[in-house]
Amino acid sequence: MALETLDHSPPPFFRQGLPAALRFALLSLMAIGLMVADHRLQVVMPVRASIATLLTPLQWASLQPGRAWDALEQSVRDMQQAQDTVDEYQVRSIAQAQKLQQIEYLLQENRQLRELLALRPTVDRSAQAAQILYDTSDGYVQRLIIDKGQVAGIRSGAVVIDTSGLVGQVTRVHPLVSEVTRLTDREQSTPVMNARTGERFVAFGESASAGERLELRFVPASADMRQGDLLITSGLDGIYPPGLHVGQIVLVDRRVNSSFARVLAAPVSREQGRHLLVLQPLRDPLSQAAQSVQAEQGRAP
Amino acid sequence: MIMPAGKPLLLPANPRFIALTLVLALLLQMWVNLWGQRWMPDLMQAVLAFWLVYQPRRVGLILAFVLGLLMDVHEAALLGQNALAYVVMGFVAGLLHRRVLWFPLREQPLQVAPMFVLVAVIEWIARLWHSGMWPHWSQLLAPVLQTALWPLVAALLLTPQRRPYERDDIRPL
Repeated sequence: MALETLDHSPPPFFRQGLPAALRFALLSLMAIGLMVADHRLQVVMPVRASIATLLTPLQWASLQPGRAWDALEQSVRDMQQAQDTVDEYQVRSIAQAQKLQQIEYLLQENRQLRELLALRPTVDRSAQAAQILYDTSDGYVQRLIIDKGQVAGIRSGAVVIDTSGLVGQVTRVHPLVSEVTRLTDREQSTPVMNARTGERFVAFGESASAGERLELRFVPASADMRQGDLLITSGLDGIYPPGLHVGQIVLVDRRVNSSFARVLAAPVSREQGRHLLVLQPLRDPLSQAAQSVQAEQGRAP
Repeated sequence: MIMPAGKPLLLPANPRFIALTLVLALLLQMWVNLWGQRWMPDLMQAVLAFWLVYQPRRVGLILAFVLGLLMDVHEAALLGQNALAYVVMGFVAGLLHRRVLWFPLREQPLQVAPMFVLVAVIEWIARLWHSGMWPHWSQLLAPVLQTALWPLVAALLLTPQRRPYERDDIRPL
């Protein structure tokens, strides 16, 4: 209570509840416990999910000024620019039409060849469009929040793409929203393949001050890698579909004193616009891991 | 209790007004976060610190903890990181509040600056432990800006308490 406040009740002299220092110690311990639990044990998901659901209306409200501004901006944007965009897209769609027709033909041919060779057919996976709600922005984590969650059938591990390429992976699913970890997050790794040579690597996120980059680790110094090579997903993991564009190599640094080359790539997805596509994983990566653990435990005497 | 001479006697703070300002601060902070600038001040922290100092009987550590958790989930940060920072802020505010209130508004920022710096340092340490990343230099600005905002926040949030005790219909303000 402020010193000079006119209040109706006197301050409590005797019954003050727990001492402030004890309350402070308890709550700090609780916070630290939560941090450890979140970091090491992954057991606080329900808490997080319920808080996220509680926050959804507030988040919606906080997005409204920006949306209103966008709408205003869009309504007064230059007609010419809109026309240019339309022209550009028309040119692009003509260029793609030919490719599309070829793809139809190739798909047909591929199916026949697979049948001839008695290979298993590739599986179509279900996809859902989602909208970016906001970008979590602290320079430490590279995450996006999208407007689809458990209710819409999003599963943890789903792959997220946009028109230009792979954006990331769904890492946390709340009832109404989900968190997408970008490729460039420090804790994200993506199985990739060099489209030119077919060699497979793992790309790790690296969001340093130099910008958002992917680092290919454990690339032998003798590997055939050139600046400008396209990286695509290999599709061997059963989570990422094969052939999604991931990045382009910007730096290959071969050092004398190391048997590995330092290879950096720039992500190709530009994340323009608000819309993303969420591709459901073919199988649940977590339940699969759990099954394999159970199987191993079953095998152990 | 001896009041410094020449200070106006304030009305009691309305709990509903406190709740409203905290929710608004949360909204504003979410909105500010959309720009993704690291040097932006934490408005939630500024408003919460004000109430912790001015109304410690109504706004306490538990509320600070809960608000911190909300911010954690919103920022998709480590759960408990902001909660710890806010709880520390609450405790320091509890130690400081009697001292701070003896100073006029324009001299209070100097008194609360160490609190904001301490809170920022705690957040940095939590992140360093979690993701092994050092803070970007521009993040040093956030506590400075919060301190600079203090007189403004305080003046704004004290306005309803500065109304006359008996409402005068002829002069409503």
